[in-house]
Amino acid sequence: MAMRTLSPEQKQALAALRVSIGGVSEQKRQTQKRLIAARKAIHKFLQAQPATVPQIATALQMPTDEALWHVTGMRKYGKVAEAGEDGDYPLYALVALEEKSAAAH
Amino acid sequence: MNTHVSSDFTPDAVIIGGGIAGLQSALDLADQDLQVLLVERQSSIGGHMIALSKVYPTLDCASCITTPKMSAAAHHPNITILTNTEVEGLDTRDGVHHVRLLQKPTYVNFDKCIGCRLCEYACDTEYPDPFEEGLGAVRAIAVPFTNAIPQKAVLNAEACGTCGTCARVCPTEAIEYDQQPRRLTVRTDAVVVASGFNLNAVTVKPQYNAHRSHNIISPLMLERLLAPHGPYGRVLRPSDGKMPSSIAFVQCAGSRDESIGVSYCSRVCCMYAIKQAMLLSGALPLADITLYYMDIRAFGKGYEQFFQNAKAMGINFVRGKVARIDPVEDGDLSLHVETTEDAEDPLQERRHDMVVLAQGMIPGWQPADSTPVACASDGFVATPALTAPTATTAPGIFVAGTAAGPKDIVDTIAEAGAAAMQVSQYLYQKRSSVLVA
Repeated sequence: MAMRTLSPEQKQALAALRVSIGGVSEQKRQTQKRLIAARKAIHKFLQAQPATVPQIATALQMPTDEALWHVTGMRKYGKVAEAGEDGDYPLYALVALEEKSAAAH
Repeated sequence: MNTHVSSDFTPDAVIIGGGIAGLQSALDLADQDLQVLLVERQSSIGGHMIALSKVYPTLDCASCITTPKMSAAAHHPNITILTNTEVEGLDTRDGVHHVRLLQKPTYVNFDKCIGCRLCEYACDTEYPDPFEEGLGAVRAIAVPFTNAIPQKAVLNAEACGTCGTCARVCPTEAIEYDQQPRRLTVRTDAVVVASGFNLNAVTVKPQYNAHRSHNIISPLMLERLLAPHGPYGRVLRPSDGKMPSSIAFVQCAGSRDESIGVSYCSRVCCMYAIKQAMLLSGALPLADITLYYMDIRAFGKGYEQFFQNAKAMGINFVRGKVARIDPVEDGDLSLHVETTEDAEDPLQERRHDMVVLAQGMIPGWQPADSTPVACASDGFVATPALTAPTATTAPGIFVAGTAAGPKDIVDTIAEAGAAAMQVSQYLYQKRSSVLVA
């Protein structure tokens, strides 16, 4: 994905937006940090083998509803996909890069 | 799609609300060569209906009905659509309505945005997706949902981390961080209030303990779970991603109950619960599905047959009232039921692993706060004339759909068509009298 640099006007507008929403609070920063850390941890865990939501939650010591929410987001944006079932639970696996590339075309 | 409104724009009618009622009224008026402004507070038109899975009693795909109407409105030369726009107030002077609008910033220039979603893919901030009733995730800048109209990205400033990535990747330089709220007043001869409904919260009855379990869900959540492009891609329990094997519907959980201030019947819960139960039995063929009800109100054309079909499919209908729901181990739920079907053992405890509460319909907007339109004691728009069900207390202002009271999609569409005809007749009479004078 091509990335441009922001123009001085855009930087100024972005700074003004930051002020208008009351700045980026510490709470927001921490939430974002936790989101990125959780996604990385799930990605790493699923590299070994497909897993169910309770398995992910147990391994990463997070509540099962939170693990499901992360998996849902990763599924929506093409990072994971269903890979069969284990009892009453669907299994989730990482989407291979070549599959993602094929889907994009 | 026409989304530009200048200060001298004077449409023949303003439609407040871009759900199925507003869309139908707008299309019916625009087809009569009247200029219509459709105002929608969300980022897409379509209302609640675009989020539904299927409709009863035909089990037609809801978005297959809604999307063509959304598209027809967006492409109609006589319809202008303002999304992300709220009505702040309405004054009537000399028979002309002055509608005060607040257009909220989207931080995206809709003329430049091509809906490519590169900004969305590059964004790394996610929050619970309101379109998925919080079950899924959406990024801080995103096209609201797959078939949203307009297909334009919108930035949620509250969620945004202000990293600037979206502007760096946008191929058309559509991101405008300096957009400001815009206030405008539109003059018009007629208004249709089609502001729809909300559901009361699942937590409205503390006895049901919805705040203590993710598996006590709203009917709109279940609609998203049943939708083919829903958050999980299948029906799963929100607490842990388990395929539920025993699901209960608790009827009248937010209506017909004076203790929560909703003494009226919401008119649609029996039928949508039956529909959802039928769809669930298709999605989860081995699941046990039970519907706890006081009485089934299947009053529309083909509805009784639909109810009988559900019974024949093996859905378990239990006449009684659920008094309390307690979360128990493994995310399951214990329901304390008083049933009239077992005289020897009327008080029973039953276990399920997911519960759907039939919440009550409440008004989506209170026009009485900022317009001359009066509301009835139930909070919905008052329609005092028995022979003119779309007429409000204010001349030239009409109402359609659930803004006037709980009703289903069939009745909403019929009423929206009627409101359009009332507007058309009103405009003809008003303009004829001006010509004669």
